[in-house]
Amino acid sequence: MFLSEIFSDPAFSLVPWVVFFPLAGIILNLIFSRRWEEKLTALTACLAAGGSFVISLLLMLALTHHPEGATITLLEWINTGSLQINWAFRVDTLSVTMMLVVSGVGTLIHIYAAGYMHYDVRINGDPSRYSRFFIFFNLFILAMMLLVSADNYLMLFVGWEGVGLCSYLLIGFWFEKGADGIANARAAKKAFLVNRIGDVGLLIALFLMFWNFGSLQFDTVFARAPEVAAATPAVLLAMTLFMLLGVAGKSAQLPLYVWLPDAMAGPTPVSALIHAATMVTAGVYLVARSHTLYSLVPAAQTTVVWLGALTALFAATIAVAQNDIKKVLAYSTISQLGFMVAAVGMGAFTAGLFHLTTHAFFKALLFLAAGSVILGMEDVRKLDETNLSDSFHHSHVDPQDMTLMGGLRRKMPVTFWVYLMGALALAGIAPLAGFFSKDEILAAASQNGLLVFLVLLAAAFLTAFYMGRQLWLVFFGKPRSENAENARENTALIVLPLILLAGLTVLGGLLNFPGSLALEGWLEHTLGKGINGEFNSMVAGISLIVSITGLVTAWFVYSRYSGEIKKLDPLEDMFGAVFIGARNKWYVDELYHAIIVRPLEGLSQQLAQPVDQGLIDGIAVGFGSLTKAIAQSWRSIENGFVRSYALALLLGIVLIFSYLVIR
Amino acid sequence: MITGILFFDVMAVLVISTSIGMLVSRNAVYSALFLVLNFASVAVLYVTLGAPFIAMAQVTVYAGAIMILFLFVIMLLGAERLEGESTIRGQRLFGGLLAVILLGELTWMAVFQSGLSPAALTMPASDFAGPTQIGLTLFNTYLLPFEVTSFILLVAIIGAIILTKTDNIGKRIIRPGKD
Amino acid sequence: MPTVNDFLLILPEVVLLIWALLILLIDLWIPDTKKYYTAVLSAAGLVISAGCAFALLGRTGSAFSNMVVLDGFSSVLSILFLLSGLAAVALAYDYLKRNAAQRGEYYTLLLFSIAGMMLMASANDLIMVFLSLELLSIPLYILAGFFRPRLASEEAALKYFLLGAFSSAILLFGIAWIYGSTGHTDFPGIVASIDGGRANYLLLLIGAGLLLVGFGFKIGVFPFHMWVPDTYQGSPSSIGAFMTVATKAAGFAALLRVFLVLFPAEAPIMAGILWGLSAASMIFGNTVAIAQMNMKRLLAYSSIANAGYILMAFVPYGNPVIAQEAVSSALFYLLAYALTSFGAWAVMIALEPAESDGLLLQDFSGLGRKYPWLGAALLISMLSFIGVPLTMGFWGKFYLFKTAVDGSQIPLVLIGLLTSLVSAYYYLRIVMFAYFKPGEPQIQPGRWASVVAVICAAGIFVLSFIPTPVFQFAAQMIMGMK
Repeated sequence: MFLSEIFSDPAFSLVPWVVFFPLAGIILNLIFSRRWEEKLTALTACLAAGGSFVISLLLMLALTHHPEGATITLLEWINTGSLQINWAFRVDTLSVTMMLVVSGVGTLIHIYAAGYMHYDVRINGDPSRYSRFFIFFNLFILAMMLLVSADNYLMLFVGWEGVGLCSYLLIGFWFEKGADGIANARAAKKAFLVNRIGDVGLLIALFLMFWNFGSLQFDTVFARAPEVAAATPAVLLAMTLFMLLGVAGKSAQLPLYVWLPDAMAGPTPVSALIHAATMVTAGVYLVARSHTLYSLVPAAQTTVVWLGALTALFAATIAVAQNDIKKVLAYSTISQLGFMVAAVGMGAFTAGLFHLTTHAFFKALLFLAAGSVILGMEDVRKLDETNLSDSFHHSHVDPQDMTLMGGLRRKMPVTFWVYLMGALALAGIAPLAGFFSKDEILAAASQNGLLVFLVLLAAAFLTAFYMGRQLWLVFFGKPRSENAENARENTALIVLPLILLAGLTVLGGLLNFPGSLALEGWLEHTLGKGINGEFNSMVAGISLIVSITGLVTAWFVYSRYSGEIKKLDPLEDMFGAVFIGARNKWYVDELYHAIIVRPLEGLSQQLAQPVDQGLIDGIAVGFGSLTKAIAQSWRSIENGFVRSYALALLLGIVLIFSYLVIR
Repeated sequence: MITGILFFDVMAVLVISTSIGMLVSRNAVYSALFLVLNFASVAVLYVTLGAPFIAMAQVTVYAGAIMILFLFVIMLLGAERLEGESTIRGQRLFGGLLAVILLGELTWMAVFQSGLSPAALTMPASDFAGPTQIGLTLFNTYLLPFEVTSFILLVAIIGAIILTKTDNIGKRIIRPGKD
Repeated sequence: MPTVNDFLLILPEVVLLIWALLILLIDLWIPDTKKYYTAVLSAAGLVISAGCAFALLGRTGSAFSNMVVLDGFSSVLSILFLLSGLAAVALAYDYLKRNAAQRGEYYTLLLFSIAGMMLMASANDLIMVFLSLELLSIPLYILAGFFRPRLASEEAALKYFLLGAFSSAILLFGIAWIYGSTGHTDFPGIVASIDGGRANYLLLLIGAGLLLVGFGFKIGVFPFHMWVPDTYQGSPSSIGAFMTVATKAAGFAALLRVFLVLFPAEAPIMAGILWGLSAASMIFGNTVAIAQMNMKRLLAYSSIANAGYILMAFVPYGNPVIAQEAVSSALFYLLAYALTSFGAWAVMIALEPAESDGLLLQDFSGLGRKYPWLGAALLISMLSFIGVPLTMGFWGKFYLFKTAVDGSQIPLVLIGLLTSLVSAYYYLRIVMFAYFKPGEPQIQPGRWASVVAVICAAGIFVLSFIPTPVFQFAAQMIMGMK
C-alpha cells in the first residue's frame, strides 16, 4: 500500500531489501544451520551481505540519474498524538555511500570470515559456534543498514542500539575465554557500558529534539532548526553536545574511547568489520547527517574539531608503544576516527566521509591481514591434520605479540605485500588512498587554524612511525619464536578478500582524486557545499614529508632490533618513563577506575546494606509477602462448590442493583 | 375489570407458589408435579391474554410430553429422594437473604421509582397469537432464530449421546514415546 | 420473506453450519485410527468460512428482518473466531490422540460453537443474542466434559453447565425487562422506542444491569468468574485454550455492541459498575494468580485479569469519541491476547502428558535449554502477557491505557499499571522455571502444538513492529458500526 508511490526511479523502491537480505540470511541460518554444513551456512550469510551490496549498487546507479533521491515509507510505526514515526528508508547520496561501504567491505569480510572462523572455532574448541557467528554478523549488517538508511532519528537509534548489541555479542563471542576465563566477557561488558554512556547522551539529544521540534524526522527537524537556533540557541547547543557524547561513545573518541582497544578480544573479522571499518564510523555519519544542526552552532563545531584532533594525537601516542598487533591497529583506528570527526567538525564533510571510506578499505585490510598473521602464528597445520578440536593443544605462545614475530615477509609473502599496502596507505604515502583522504583533512585544517593543523600533523607523523614500527617488528628481521619460524601462508578463501581490499586501497584515492572530485560532487546533493579541502600542493608536500620521515625514523630505530625475546623496546631505552606511560595507555583506565568506578562502588557498598537491603528490600519483600498472603486467603473463595459459586454470582447481582438503587 | 385483576392475582400467586414449591421439595416427584402445575397455571394466563393456541402448546408440549419424560426418568433412576444435607452453614439463609434483597431492589425500582403506568404499554392486535399469525411470524421475521434453535437442539442431542456413550474413551491412553 | 441475499450476508456462518453437519455424517465412515481426516476436514471448513468472511470484509447490511447485521466489527471478530478455531483444531489433534479421545464430534461441536460466536458478534436482536449465546455455550458444555469418565472433566462440564444456565436465565430475565420497557427485542426497534421517549428508563436500566451480568459471566469478570478456574482446569486443554480466547471475545462482542447501541444514555450510571467490575477483576485475577502452581489455573486467573483490562477502556463508553477508540483498542487487545494466550497454552499442551490436569510450573524446568524454540515461545508469550515492549501485549495495553486516560479514568489506569506489575511476578516465575531451573521436560508426540506455539510467538513479535497499521485497520473496520 505504501510502496505504490511513484518514485523518480523504480530502483529506489528496492531499498528495504538492504535490510531484508540480511534478515533472510539470519532466518535461514537460524532454522537450518544445525543441519547444514559450514560451507552452506557461510554461503548463505555471504549471499545475504552480497545481496545488500548489489541493492546498494543499484541504488547508486539510480542516484547518478536522479541525485535528489527519495524517501521510501515501508510501514507506519508509531502514530500517537504528535509523535508520528514511520519505518522509512532514505535514499540519498550520503546514505548510499554508507550503504556501499558497509555492504561492500562487509561482504568481503564475510567471505574472509568463512575461512577464518573455520580455524578459529577449532582453535577455540567449539565448532558449533560457527553458525552463531554468521547470524550475529548478518544481524550486524542489518542493524548497520537500518542505521544508515533511516529517515528519522528514532529508526537511526534502533540501528545504533542494534550495532551496539552486535558489538557486545561479538566481542564476547568467546565469552568463556581470555585471562582467568573472564577477560573477554569483561571486554564485552566494558564496551557495552561505555557505549551506554554515549547512548544516554544521544537519547537526551533525541528527547530535546522531540521537545523542541516536535518531530524526529530528518527533514522536519532540519527545516525547523534555524528558527529554534534563533529563538533558543542554548537548546541547540545542548542538543548537539549531547549528540556528541553519543558520537564519542560509538566512534571511540575522548573520553569514551577506552572500550575499543579491549574490543579486540573479539575474533579478527569482527575487529575488522565492526571495530574498524563500519560501526565505529557511525558517529562520523551521525555528525555528517546532522550537519544542518552543527553548522548552526559554531561552539559545538569547535568542540567537535578539538575532540577529534586531540583524540587523533592522543591515541597515536599510545599506539606507538603497544606490542599486540591488533592493539596497535585499534589505537590507530581511534586516531583515524579522530581525523574524521575533526574533519566533519570543520564542515569538511566530504573530506571526512572520503577518509571514512578509504579508512574502511585499508583498515579492514590491515585487520584481516593481521588476522592472517595471527592464524599463521597459530599452529594451524596440526589442526588440519587431526581436524579434531579437542585433540588440538593450544600453543602457549601469544600469537598476537609482535615481539615474538619477525621475518614473516618470507613465510607469508601475500600477507606481507597486502599488509605493506595497507600500512603505507594508513601512513599516508602517495599515491595510495590514505594519502588523498588524509591530505584533504589536513588541507581543511590548515584553513581552520594553525594549532589544529599542527596537532593533526603530529598525529600523522606518529601514524607513520607506529606503522613503520609494526612493519619492522612483524615482517622484517629474524623470526623471534618457534611459531614465527613455522608460519605459513593461509588458504585462498582468506587471502582472496585481502587482495581485493588491497586493490581498493590502491585505487580508493580515485574516488575523490584532485581535479575530478567525484565524491564531493556526489555528496553535495545531500550535504550542500561544505568547506572543501582543496588540494593544496604545499600541504600535500608537508604531509608526505612528515609521513616518510615517520617511516624512516621507525626504520632507524627498529631495523637493529635484534629479536632477543623480552629484550627492551629500543624506544624504552631512549624515552624511559614516557614510553612506559604510553605503553600503559597513560594510565587512563586506572584513572577512570580510581575516580569513577571505585567511588561508585564505594557508594554502592555504602548504600547496599542499610538502604537497599534494609529499607527498599524490606518494603519490596513486605509488599510481596503481603500480596502472597492476600492471594492465599482470596484463593479460598474458590472452594469448589457450585452453590457457592452461584451464591457469589447472586451477590454480584445484588451489589450491582444496590448501586443502581442508591446511586 | 375488578374480577379480571382478581383472577390474575390468584393465578399469579399460584404460578409463583408452585415454582417455589418445585424448588424446595426434597422429593423429585413432587418437584416435577409442582412444575406441571406451574406450566398449567401459566397456560391459563396465556388464555386470559387471548392466546389460546400458545396455551394449548404449553400444556401439550411442556406439561404433557416433557414432564412425562421427566417423571419417567426420575422413577426409572429411583431418584425420588434427594440425598445430601451437606449445606455449608448459613449458606441457604444467606442465599435467601440475597434473593429477598434483590427482589426488594427490583420492586423498588420497577414499581415505586419508575412511574410505570399500564396505559403506556401498547396492546398487540387481538389475533396476534392465532396459529396463522404465529406461523407467519415464525417463518418470516423469526426464521433465523428458528433455525438457530434447531441447531441448538441438534447440539444438545449430540451432547447427550457423547456424554452417555463412554465405550471408547479412556481405554487406550497412548503413553509418550510409544506413538 | 428471506431472500438469497439474506443468506449471502451470513455466508460464513451458513457455510460453517452446513460443513459441521457434513462432517458429522462423514465422520461416521472414518475409522477411529484415521481421525486425522476429520481434523483436516474441519480445518478446511474453517478456512473456507474464513475465506467467505474475508470476501465480505468491508460490506455492510442487515439480514433476516434485522436479526443480524454484517459490518466491519462482526467481520473482524468472525475472522478472529475462525482463526481461534483453527488453533483449537491444531492443538486438539495430537492432544486428543494422546488422551485416546479422538472422536469426530469434537470438531463438529467446535464448529457449531464458532458459528454461535459469529452470530453473536453480528446479532442485532436480543433474541438472536440469547440464541447465539446458547449455540456457542452448549457445545462448550459438552466439550468441557469431553474426557467424560475422568472426574475433573465431568466436574468442569457440570459446573460450567449449571452456572451457565443460571447466567443464561439472568440474561433472559434482562431481555424480558427490556422488552417490557420498549416493546421490542430488535435493536432498531428498541433504539427508536428510546429515542421516541416511549421507553421506561428504569425498566431499561434493570435490563441493562441484568444483561451486564449475563455477559460478565461469559467474559469471566469478577465476581462472575467463579466457574473459570475449575472449568479451564478440568476441560481438555485445547478447549481451555479456545475458551480463554474465543468465548471471551464473543462475550465482549455482544457486550460492546449491545451497550453501545442500546444503552448510551445509561453510560454515566453503568460507568460506575463497569469501573468496579474492571478494577475488581484486575486486582483479584492478578493477585490470586500468584498463589497458583498449576499452569491451567494460573492462565485462568490471568484471563480474569485480562477481561478486567479490556473492560477498563470501555468504562467511559458514553463519550462517542472514546467509544470508537475503546472498541478499536478492545479489538486490538483481543488480537494480542489471542496470540499470547494461544502461545502459552500451546507450549503447555506440547508438554502435557496424557491424563493430566495441567502442568505444574515446576514441570517447565529446563525447557529453555532442552527445547529452545518452545522455550522462546513461552518467554515471548509471558513477556507479552506482562506487556513488555517489542511484544503485541505491550501495544495492546498501551492502547487500552491510552483510551482510559483519554476518558479520564486515571485511578483505573493506575490500578491497571500496578496490577500489571504484580502480574510480572507470576509470569516471570514461569520464565524462571523454564530457564533457570534444571529439569528434563519431555515433549509429547506430535508437533502441531509446537507449531502453534511458534507461530503465535512469531506473530506477537513481528506484529509488534507495525502496531499502528493493525490498530488503524481495527479502527477503520468499526467505522461502519452502528
